[in-house]
Amino acid sequence: MTGNENPYLPELVTVMKVIDETPNIKSFQVVFNDTEKMKNFKFEPGQVGQLSVFGVGESTFVINSPPTRMDYLQFSVMKAGEVTTALHGIYEGDVIGVRAPLGNWFPYQDMKGKNILFVGGGIGLAPLRTLILYMLDNRADYKDITIIYGSRTPPDLCYKDDLKEWEERSDVNLILTVDNEFPGWEKRTGFVPTVLKEEAPKSDNTIAITCGPPIMIKFVLQGLAELKFPEENIITTLEARMKCGIGLCGRCNLGHKYICKDGPVFSLKQLKELPSDE
Amino acid sequence: MSTQKLKEIIKQVLPDVETVICWQEGYDKLNVTPIFITSPEQVDQVVWNPLCAQNLASYLPSQKKKVAVAVKGCDSRTIVQYMQEGLIDRNNVVIIGIPCKGTVSKKKVQKAIGNEPVEEVTFTDGSIKVKTPSGEKTLALADVCPTKCTSCQFPTPIVYDQLTADAIKSDKPPESVYADVAELEGKTLEERKAYFASQFDKCIRCYACRNACPMCVCQDSCIAETRDPHWITQKNSLDEKVMFHMIHALHLAGRCVECGECERVCPMEIPVAKLKKKINKEMKDLFDYTPGVNPEDKPPMYTFNVDEAKIKEHKL
Amino acid sequence: MADKGYLPKEKIKEFVEALGKDAAVYAPCLEGDTIIFRQYTADKEISLDRPANTPPKGAIYPQCETLLSFEFKKDAATPQKMDVELKANTDFPKAVVFGGRPCDAKGFTVIDRVFVNTDTADPYYKKRRENTTIITKCCNSPYAGCFCVGVGGGPASREGSDVVMTEVDGGYYLEAVTEKGKAVMSLSMIQDGSSYEAKAKQANEKATGAVRNPFPADARISPELFDSGDFWGRVVDKCVSCGACTFLCPTCYCFNITDEQAITTGERIRSWDSCMFQHFTLETSGHNPRPAKYKRFRNRVGHKFSYYPEKYDGAIACTGCGRCIRYCPVSVDISEIVGYLKDPKADPKQWAADKKDAKN
Repeated sequence: MTGNENPYLPELVTVMKVIDETPNIKSFQVVFNDTEKMKNFKFEPGQVGQLSVFGVGESTFVINSPPTRMDYLQFSVMKAGEVTTALHGIYEGDVIGVRAPLGNWFPYQDMKGKNILFVGGGIGLAPLRTLILYMLDNRADYKDITIIYGSRTPPDLCYKDDLKEWEERSDVNLILTVDNEFPGWEKRTGFVPTVLKEEAPKSDNTIAITCGPPIMIKFVLQGLAELKFPEENIITTLEARMKCGIGLCGRCNLGHKYICKDGPVFSLKQLKELPSDE
Repeated sequence: MSTQKLKEIIKQVLPDVETVICWQEGYDKLNVTPIFITSPEQVDQVVWNPLCAQNLASYLPSQKKKVAVAVKGCDSRTIVQYMQEGLIDRNNVVIIGIPCKGTVSKKKVQKAIGNEPVEEVTFTDGSIKVKTPSGEKTLALADVCPTKCTSCQFPTPIVYDQLTADAIKSDKPPESVYADVAELEGKTLEERKAYFASQFDKCIRCYACRNACPMCVCQDSCIAETRDPHWITQKNSLDEKVMFHMIHALHLAGRCVECGECERVCPMEIPVAKLKKKINKEMKDLFDYTPGVNPEDKPPMYTFNVDEAKIKEHKL
Repeated sequence: MADKGYLPKEKIKEFVEALGKDAAVYAPCLEGDTIIFRQYTADKEISLDRPANTPPKGAIYPQCETLLSFEFKKDAATPQKMDVELKANTDFPKAVVFGGRPCDAKGFTVIDRVFVNTDTADPYYKKRRENTTIITKCCNSPYAGCFCVGVGGGPASREGSDVVMTEVDGGYYLEAVTEKGKAVMSLSMIQDGSSYEAKAKQANEKATGAVRNPFPADARISPELFDSGDFWGRVVDKCVSCGACTFLCPTCYCFNITDEQAITTGERIRSWDSCMFQHFTLETSGHNPRPAKYKRFRNRVGHKFSYYPEKYDGAIACTGCGRCIRYCPVSVDISEIVGYLKDPKADPKQWAADKKDAKN
């Protein structure tokens, strides 16, 4: 937590930059209005924040900039409901609220000395981005880094500048795919789980981290199982309708665990031990 | 007694339907609860007595397959209204009609016995005998019945496939139907406002009245909870509560079948049906229309005619 | 300060008014046929005859409250820029909850574990809880649906109370449970209570013996039944998905947060929400992890009897007050359902044998 006495009270932040990622996704780079707060703010890769548009409400987003780059905090927002639509109407210079950091984070310390496989789809790259950038900023700590990322069409790919940079780096293996043929697209086509199967990355000494639409995750988890990834080496980050973000309001539970507080990051092993609503 | 006949009919129709919806004994002797019968062994649990006040027809629109349902005369108006509004397929419903001489309000009985635990309940014609740790008490059904039974016009179901007993005719004068509304109308506007304020102030916004209402078709998209449109906030102020109940009532204009479920289920004992009944009376005066009595009718608010066939001159 | 006393019935009003000198007193008040916890004023009629329709939960955890208010501000020098000013109030006056039942008082202890005993405590609840004294009336006899003894409580349980009072000889025998409670005992209308102690004990034992326990001793919830969609589909066929059970529950604490705005001012409010509502878990994308009512119902029962106990050393998040049973529009009986889940003789195959598909 931020150390606030009142966990419901957001910090005021100013939006420094708005980036159009895709036709319906925007990224917002924000800094705390209180410069001391900005200086002292600490978080871990994978933790989330609640963005407030006052008068409209709050919604949960992962902090997708890494803790190694603290000039600003970045959040990416897909336009879908009331709060995200309001956020898409926010301009540079506007003041919004942030409650962060909330939740747990990727166990990146335990991943040192291992190969890392990222499998993402659509805006699901957001939580992976914070960890990818963190690892690239501490590149020597990790072995091979493979990123399989896809979206419906090329314009729907997020973080195009990052993708370009990763593609050019020799110490990152980036595989991009889109669902179907698209004019001007010369890279792969096919769904992410299919590409994963084709690539068949080795599971030895490898941690797989995946995030994307629920249906993609379902098939990626199947694919990883077929590739003999042990359940404890498969990590995902979950989404749910959240309100409080601090484990009190009661809606984001899986059994006795709350996605907002005990998660959002879980290993497949942990998830299998929890009751599901299925 | 028609209970035996009811059981026989259920056994007879069960092979042709997925489920038979009826009543069984509830958590104590003063309670009955719905039973969804899918096998003949369950039929023995069926009960029929004046405690069977719940309108089981409300479950019909959510059923996906052919079902049978036990209905009283008042409940059958729900089915007629569903037919008018195209909310059910009549071919998929077997209606087991029960001629009914009046039900009992659990709340009124509890009050009459000083809220003591109930050990035994028995019925004789026209009365209910309740045994509690401090003794037995016999109450006249007329004293502990819901408001709707005091002016019942339809003791026998309007539509049915089978009847559990001979049809009976109403012995209540038609003008008694809106007697309680007339009482309300006798009050000044200020008095009425104060009355409804004191009643709706008790509302906890649990939406039992809405969810139990057979004609509340919006259900999960109700404006009481939506942000788009954002007409009502989640505050528990009197304004918001009144607004919710006003909208509930207005959505039922010319559709409320007066089954009284909203009032029966209110945990705060608010007379929530009163407002709806007042609007029904206005609809009756204006359009000469009674909801849920003729499957061929169209509810007046479903149609727009420049020259309404039955509209009367506005009273103002 | 004495920790035992006696209060004659005719002094109740005087007692409540004395408590109200420096605190807001919430008491069960009769309005028509309804008994509701209201902030006491002289025009209200207190009724201790039966448990109130509502628990006193709202006195400490109001159905709706302002978490923060905000105001948009413009500076004439930079008219294109809009600033926001936030205010939050967590300063609450002293309060007394008078006339709740032991199940009601215990309800607060269930919420305490979640809202207070955590690193992200709820400052609104916590402050109100600290400032509230709870004076509880023990039950003389059970009421329709009650089953407190089945969940570790009882009609004279002291858990959560600062003072407990037992009806004896035209008055109440009072016993202070906490230091807060002892402070109450010094009020002038409290008489010496020592001669009533034995009688009160007897009355409480009699009441305890009269409450039903719907659960087999030491039985555990059958995981096989608990996971069975068939079982739950059957159990909740009749449920109408309203929020009566949760809004009347002394332990249910789930809430919603929504913003309301006028022109340049507004507030963020927190209001009770119900896990029985379809929209409770509905995500913006349209995905809903609990779209069917049996899944929502299973979660409600699971939360009270499985998930919560797993997290808090076996404590059950149900106090057996019976309100969800007696006020359920269709008489769904949670004690019957949990009793079945705990019955070692229960055979899930028996339930599943002639089962139709679980319905929405």
